[in-house]
Amino acid sequence: MTQYYLPKDKVPIPPPDAEVFTTACDYCIVACGYKVYRWPLGKDGGPKANDNALLADFPLDPLGGSGASWYGPNNHNVVMVKGKPHNIIVIGDAETGAVNLKGDHSIRGGCIAQKPYNPSTPTRDRLQRPMLRIFDSLMPVSWDLATDIHAELSKYVIDKYGANAWGHKQYSYQYWENTYALTKLALRHIGTASFSPHDQPGPGGDAIGLRDAGFAKFAPSYWDWAHADVLFISGTDPYETKTVLWNEWIMPAINDKKRKMKVIMVQPRRTMGMAYAEANGGLALQLIPGTDTVLQMAITRQIIEMGGEDKKWIKKWTNNKWETDSGFGQGTRNSPWQWRSTWGKFETSGYDNGKKSFKTWLFKQKESDLNTAAKITGVSAAKIKKAAQMMSQGKGKPTKVSIALEKGNYWSNNYGNTVSLANLAIITGTGGRPGRMMGRLGGHQRGGRGGGKYIRAKGPEKNEGRRKKPIDLDRWLVSGHLRFANVVGCTWVSGMAGSQGGIGDAFNRQTRKNPHQVRSFVKKDIIDTLKKRVDSGGMVVANWDIYLRDPIGSKYADIVFPAATWGEVDFARANGERRCRLYSKFYDAPGDAKPDWWIAAQIAKKMGFPGFDWKDSNQVFEETARFSRKSRVAYDSIVWMAKKNGMKGHELLGKLGTTGIQAPVRIMDKAYANSKDPRINRPGRKYAGDQQAVLKGLEWRGGVLFATVRQHDTEMKLPDTGHPERTIFNKLELKYKSQTGKLNLLKSPWNQFSDFWEWWKPKGDELWVTNGRINEIWQTGFDDMFRRPYITQRFPENFLEIHPQDAKARGIQSGDMLVISNDRVPIQKDYNQSVFSGDFMFTNLMKQGHIKLTKASITAVAIVTPAVRKGVSFTYFQNPHQPANALVPMVPDWVTNRYRFKLGVGKVKKIGESPYKKTFRAFSFARRDIV
Amino acid sequence: MEKKEEKCFSLCSNRRQFLLTSGVATATVVLTGIPGIGAKKVEAVTTGYPRKKIASLSSLKTGKPVEFKYPDNKRYADSFIVKLGTEAGGGVGPKKDVVAFNNFCQHMGGKMLDGGYKAADKAIGPCPYHQSTFDLTRHGIIISGHSTESIAQVLLEVKGDDVYAVGMMGLIFGRHSNL
Repeated sequence: MTQYYLPKDKVPIPPPDAEVFTTACDYCIVACGYKVYRWPLGKDGGPKANDNALLADFPLDPLGGSGASWYGPNNHNVVMVKGKPHNIIVIGDAETGAVNLKGDHSIRGGCIAQKPYNPSTPTRDRLQRPMLRIFDSLMPVSWDLATDIHAELSKYVIDKYGANAWGHKQYSYQYWENTYALTKLALRHIGTASFSPHDQPGPGGDAIGLRDAGFAKFAPSYWDWAHADVLFISGTDPYETKTVLWNEWIMPAINDKKRKMKVIMVQPRRTMGMAYAEANGGLALQLIPGTDTVLQMAITRQIIEMGGEDKKWIKKWTNNKWETDSGFGQGTRNSPWQWRSTWGKFETSGYDNGKKSFKTWLFKQKESDLNTAAKITGVSAAKIKKAAQMMSQGKGKPTKVSIALEKGNYWSNNYGNTVSLANLAIITGTGGRPGRMMGRLGGHQRGGRGGGKYIRAKGPEKNEGRRKKPIDLDRWLVSGHLRFANVVGCTWVSGMAGSQGGIGDAFNRQTRKNPHQVRSFVKKDIIDTLKKRVDSGGMVVANWDIYLRDPIGSKYADIVFPAATWGEVDFARANGERRCRLYSKFYDAPGDAKPDWWIAAQIAKKMGFPGFDWKDSNQVFEETARFSRKSRVAYDSIVWMAKKNGMKGHELLGKLGTTGIQAPVRIMDKAYANSKDPRINRPGRKYAGDQQAVLKGLEWRGGVLFATVRQHDTEMKLPDTGHPERTIFNKLELKYKSQTGKLNLLKSPWNQFSDFWEWWKPKGDELWVTNGRINEIWQTGFDDMFRRPYITQRFPENFLEIHPQDAKARGIQSGDMLVISNDRVPIQKDYNQSVFSGDFMFTNLMKQGHIKLTKASITAVAIVTPAVRKGVSFTYFQNPHQPANALVPMVPDWVTNRYRFKLGVGKVKKIGESPYKKTFRAFSFARRDIV
Repeated sequence: MEKKEEKCFSLCSNRRQFLLTSGVATATVVLTGIPGIGAKKVEAVTTGYPRKKIASLSSLKTGKPVEFKYPDNKRYADSFIVKLGTEAGGGVGPKKDVVAFNNFCQHMGGKMLDGGYKAADKAIGPCPYHQSTFDLTRHGIIISGHSTESIAQVLLEVKGDDVYAVGMMGLIFGRHSNL
């Protein structure tokens, strides 16, 4: 891997007869639309419009003005198509009707042409063959042998030790076809409760307080984020992490002379977007990590104290106690949102009616007091007050407030933060009208489709009373209950909290340190050895991925499956505004690599499960459609319409191109769909995708596809009767996710979390080591940081941003090599039942011996910058070689079972100088918030 | 260092190749005899860049960019030269602190000088379109933002007080070929 990227000073031009495919970026949730131009090697076009497929004269105009985006060397690659080499260029679609208008792109998506396999680039180590670990080496074998062994061992473990001994961890996002097939195998047929998505210890939601209040987390459209008066963003900077949402929607709204949107951004670290927001009339609230609950409670109280709450909205749309309880009767409230929202710890009697009301509770909390909050959060009282004034509804004309959140918020104090943020939304009239929306901005794209139901009743843990929780799979592993770990497309170990002392230790102990290691190619010997491993308390690990990841694939896996991915198979999924699109196949997957749905089908068939006889990706897609009906991305109507018109589901979705269509997609009578009534033709509709030319002739018995601009659109009018053949309307289109359709105001007690926070916060010379995404790197860097020389040159290693005063005290300069260590990382190590109230509070877990303290350390290169606040450092969250999660407590929020990933703590020490300190090719130590 | 470069010029014919090849190991052409490098294969580079006088060292003021056009007078040839005051990758002059770059952001073609030169960080930008910033001490590498390439660097040589542009590293925005 070179640090010395040398850009070419030429790019080839696609000839007029180049083939064109549409797709969307594989990376962040925004999912910009891209065009792929493909033509055989040696048949380039020319710079005149007549001589090329772009229909544009070179040089091209800025901002996609030529109708095609300009492209550089990183947009070009050479791939194999049916065994013949072809040029491709992959460029932002300058003609798209949504998302990345003008063909805008991030640095991640902009380089996505480098993702496809090409043996002359650093993609040459793509996994191409199934492998088994024999004589301690991963050796290529046939699909048949590898899947035989997987199926045989899976059956053995399930029969002998029960389904919960067979653990499954998978990406939640990598296309509907794959997630459906995987969950059909793991949940519907194997029926294990030992299941978790890539980024959580167990299944369930993430911004859980939003759900309990009644908000769907991806209700808003990108139009809404651009049409607020005040946009409150907590725990993320979309400039860094959802680039084009910032570039094309939020920033233009700030700069628009009429709209002049103001952005309030809340993060410990001052990023580019935050600096820009502040320089343009917004507000930067740089809080101490983990204190969002207090900040949000204080802002809420300030708004109420100044009479700025939206009284009419609150009256109309919030539940009183009877309404919150109604519908449950006297029976069990066994789903987590039911027991949480009706549990005295959190339930209120409504906004301001009586002693148990939200308002009475809030005003009694000392943390909601302005000066107390300023002290705890580190945000000045003046700034808290200013934020309240900006969001207040007390003035004549209502202030349109939208509220967005992401992991910095919900991965520090999950329940308290998300509940108190939902409350702030409710009292400012946010969450049900155009430009006044509430939701997540998102991380990964939305590609999860359930092929089976998670059976919570089989999970091993509950809170006091009958309050069943989904599994904490990491703790289940650490406490020795897993005999088979099936790991699909994720970095179990470094991706999770306490990754060195907890999970890493457990994997090592149960696999490589077990005496039963395979030393034969005879199938029976292999199976017998692995059965002995399992019977002696060990574990078999299968890892499905596109590269051999460290350590899960390289060190622990016994079975490795090579997966086919983006561009290699037709796939479908949605982005962060529920926009569904086809991700077209445009080249051949390398070697023997296969899509995960195919691999799942082989194993399922060998285990004797029915319903896995798919011939192609479209067949899987069409089968998934009916399971999307109740979801925010309901696309069953797309498949229905396709079939009525003699098309395939993928085919119709493909015709909608890079604009796609916003789900839930319904069938409506033409008269309704074409109505100009503003209650039907909702603001932002022009980007929804259901009015594309391609859909003009596409109908069935007077019904056409109708998109959903936003959910909870309380001012929208539905038809009195729908299309006679398709009359499904989800309550969430006009109302909220509770049994009454109204919102719950819930308590967010600081003391459910503060015992942990006080114990964990930096002591002595420790610093907060918070972590997050940055613009240049996608996720674990498997594509970019490790396999794109330009990005490798920019970030050859992980970095730690540290405040100048903290740096000086430790003798640290930019470019120095650091060790960040902690010898008190808490690991919640075993399973126990909560019998008495408070058993799962951190203090009691410590007292009762359920926590062990472990050591962790990572390295990083110093960037000294005032962008971080004193006492807080910041590092990239998922560099597998320098895993910041090692410094994160493996103690999830006891209410919601969600990690506090953003609350790392460590001691920072210089160990020397990095080679980048005094050379000029790689890295940069300039600050990232220059405006 | 100066001596090594002089030797390199005689061997590789211009400074462009020295800048492009130092420490590099990719494909096609074999150059030998570069001090500290030995025989290494390096990427073939487009030849034929003009040698053009663009400034004199004595007229450059630290932190004040001066505009010029290179490699021709056609669209997107607008470039700037700036004396940073600290040593930089590809820098010329006694302190190796004089560098030059094309003026267009490689993301969507914004004019970087409109965002301005930021002396404190030796950075250009933010780009007026979408806020990309580039580090001028490190061959124009992206600091933060969206460009898929470094801002294109104009390669320089000095003879006496005269500064010459002699080549480019990186493709100029809007074009399919620099020449």
